[in-house]
Order: sequence, then C-alpha cells, then structure tokens
Amino acid sequence: MSIEKIVKKLQDVLNIDKPVTKLMPTNEAEITISKQHILLAVKTILKSGIWHLSAITCQQLESDFILLYHFWKSGGLTLRIRVDEKNTQIDSICSLVPGAEYYEREAREMFGIEFLGLPNPIPLLLPDDWQGGYPMRKKEPPTHDKPEDNNHKQKGKSS
Amino acid sequence: MSKITVPIGPQHPLLKEPLSFLVSLEGEKVIDSTLRLGYVHRGIEKLAEQRTYIQNAYLIERICGICSHIHSTTYCQSVEALLKLEVPKRGLYIRMLLCELERIHSHLLWLGVLAKNIGLNTLFMYAWRDREIVLNIMEEISGGRVSHAVNIIGGVRVDLNEKHLSLLQKSLQELNMRVDEILQSIENDRSFRARTRNIGCLSLEDIKRYCVVGPVARASGLDIDIRRDAPYAAYDELSFEVPLMTEGDVWARSILRILETIQAIRLCTQIIHNLPKGPVSVSAPRRVPAGEVVSRAEAPRGEVFYYVRSDGSQNPARLKVRTPTLTTLITLPGQLKNMQLADVSAVIAGVDLCIACGDR
Repeated sequence: MSIEKIVKKLQDVLNIDKPVTKLMPTNEAEITISKQHILLAVKTILKSGIWHLSAITCQQLESDFILLYHFWKSGGLTLRIRVDEKNTQIDSICSLVPGAEYYEREAREMFGIEFLGLPNPIPLLLPDDWQGGYPMRKKEPPTHDKPEDNNHKQKGKSS
Repeated sequence: MSKITVPIGPQHPLLKEPLSFLVSLEGEKVIDSTLRLGYVHRGIEKLAEQRTYIQNAYLIERICGICSHIHSTTYCQSVEALLKLEVPKRGLYIRMLLCELERIHSHLLWLGVLAKNIGLNTLFMYAWRDREIVLNIMEEISGGRVSHAVNIIGGVRVDLNEKHLSLLQKSLQELNMRVDEILQSIENDRSFRARTRNIGCLSLEDIKRYCVVGPVARASGLDIDIRRDAPYAAYDELSFEVPLMTEGDVWARSILRILETIQAIRLCTQIIHNLPKGPVSVSAPRRVPAGEVVSRAEAPRGEVFYYVRSDGSQNPARLKVRTPTLTTLITLPGQLKNMQLADVSAVIAGVDLCIACGDR
C-alpha cells in the first residue's frame, strides 16, 4: 500500500479532516493526531504493511511537548502528537512495536513524558542516581551539581 | 541448578566500548541478560542546541569514532534541505566516496574484532592490516584517519587531485584482492564456521518487530537499504547490489559484511571514474530559515536518522539523532538467551555495536 493510501486510511479511521503537511527533503507525509488515538493509529499503520519505526522525536515548544513518530517504508510517514505540560501521560506503543522501547525510555528520562504500559521504565542513558531533572527540557538547563559522592570524600580523607 | 549472575562490562576485555551486561547463568547456559547504556553519554543533542549550525557539523562528527563521516553527511544534508541549497555534483561524489571508504574501514575493523573475540588472531591481524590501506587513503584526502571534517554545509572542504586519484586506483585494486582472499578464507574455514554458525539467530519476524536495520537485518533476509530505497547524495547515479542472506546467524552477518565491502570497493571505483568536474561546495548563509526536516542515510551499521527543527536563528531548536546501534542493542538479550557462555563473545561482536553512537 502506498503512503498516500495509508494516510487516507488513517484519516478515515481517525476522522481527521486536517490537511497533511510534508517534511523535507523527501516530502515525507506528516499527520497530526490526538494522543488518545495513538494506539489505534499505530495499529492501522501496522495493518497497512509498515512495520519500521525509525525513531520517536520528542521536543518542547513553549509549554507543550511534541512527539513525532517517524515510520518508514520506502517513504516516510510521521505522526505528530501534542502532549500538554500538565498531563504528560501517553499510551506506550511497545505492545505493538517492541522496538519502540528505547525511544520511549529516552523521551521519558530526557523530557519527563510518562508512557503508560512501558515494559521497562528504568533509566537508559542517565545515571541511576541522577538528580538533575529532565535535561532536555528548555526551562531546565542541565545542572552541573553532582549528587554527593560519599565514597570519594572518605577516600580523600584516608589518603 | 543455582543461578549465577556474571557482570560483563562496563570495562571488560570483550568489549571495546563501555556497555554493561548482567548475564544470568545456569551452569554454562545463559538464561537471562539485561544491559545498561549511558557510560559514554555526552548529551550531544543538548549541546547542539547551544551551538551554531557550522559548529555543529564538527560536533556531530564526534558522535562516533568509526562512522564519523556519515553523521556529518546526514546532518549537513538536512541543514542544506532547510536552506534549499543545491550542493555541486563533485561535492556529493566526494561525500559518497568517503562514505564508502568508511564502510570498508568499519566492516574490516568489525571483522577484526569478531575474529579476536572468537580466538582467530591471524584473521584479526589480516583484517586490521588491510584496514590500514583505507585509513591511509582517508588521511591522504582529508588529513585525518578517523575524524575527517570533510563535510561543510554546502558541500565538502577538500578536492581530489591527480595524486589522490592514482593512489585511490592503486589502493582499491590491492584492497579488492585482499578482501577476496578474506572472503574465501572465512567461507571455507572450519573453525570460523564452527564458532559462528547457528548462534545469535534472529528471525525475519523479530527483525521487523524490533525495527532492526542494516547488515543485521539484511543477514536475516530483510531487503532494506536507504542508498537504494530512498537515494540521497547521488546514489541514484551509481549501480550497486545489496547483498542479502537468510540464515540470520553470526556467520551470515560476517559473509554479508564482506560482500558489502566488495560492493563498497566497486562503488568507490565507479565514483573515481565518473567524478564530475566543477566546484565542490557553495557558500551557505549562517542563519537557517524556520522549518523542520528529516534525513536518513545508510551508515555502515544501517539507517541513521536525523531530525532538525530550525526557529530561524543561528542555532538549531532541536536536533534528534537515532543511530542504528540502538535498534540492534534491543535484540541482544533475546539473542543471548539459551546460548553457551563461550558463545556470548561471538554474539556481542557479531551484531557490530557502536556504543558511542548508541549513547550520543
């Protein structure tokens, strides 16, 4: 099924009448959906024969977060979802696309997006004892204060 | 039988880069494993937001010490798309030449690491000896053996002269001969086969479920290659084959990578024979108009993905990098399950991890 047909099908299933925008340089289709529809949208995409999720991009625009799900099969299809800063919960798609686990874990620890049903919600890149907040958020610049390292201090004293 | 948990990494002779595995064993059999990333996380995505587009071309190259050129290629082509710049053909050809040289270098380096991990030291030395040929060419062209800083926004900063072309011609011929020899020896070698056959298997189903890309996916029969399926630079003007295998084990991945190396040498030869004349770059403005762009390229390990959003200033508002290693890492616990402990080294080396890429 071609990307145009899949986009048409998505619009029918989700009752969307907004126009489809294009991402450069290869004119990848991009479609905006609401966050309640994420699982239904991904199911529709998988049924249409696209299985490859290239990445999930998370970014902060003023007070909102934007999640971009980049699907690809000889052409790109991106789902754009707005997540409110006050309610950062969204359904995890790991039950449908197991390969999304690392992308969701990264968005979780870097931006504080809460993925409901994420199978392994532990830090992926940040240290276990990280206390610097969500480093990729705009309003929270990364802190250089390290948590107290008691072992190091004690070693220093004895030597 | 009681369960023992063995830590592999973050510092371990088996791993060339820091990654932590916790392998649970029952006797000699692996029953479970977990992995932990982040030991070389440098926050490059955040750093990029605080630097200009021009500075970022050099920062991005530092994501990886093996496939540095493909990162800056993908970054530059996304910024060029935002600027609506048309890069001169000669610039694109030189970009592609370095991409393919890097593929040869990466695959030979990987073969050495695998050979060392399974105890075939002679093959390790041969592979790394032959890798020197590529590194010398790269040094001659760009001045750097690993970080080249060849890409600039709008083209490349180096041009090829007659001396480079004759060196390339001579070296590529020699390399072709050497890689043929390596292919013959690993195809027929009994110990190589015994250590790599039927281990670390991934079915086509798993490949699709975990969105795996690159040689690991192609060794399990998934016919995917960005150079052919969504050509970037000038790959649509060159002819090449995409090798495909169906066994899905470490052996298939090895043969496939050697076949890819042969194709890459073929591509390099085509590039130097069809090198267009003209300038290698165009000048680019410092400010980038507001917009969003996604860009994909085929790195030695598979599809690398970039997303850039510009708000019209000198710095990108968001730069997202997804490297192919992340997709293969997620399959590792599944591949290691029910393996013998002695095979763990071959499986970890077989998928060709680049942890610096994965961590960013």
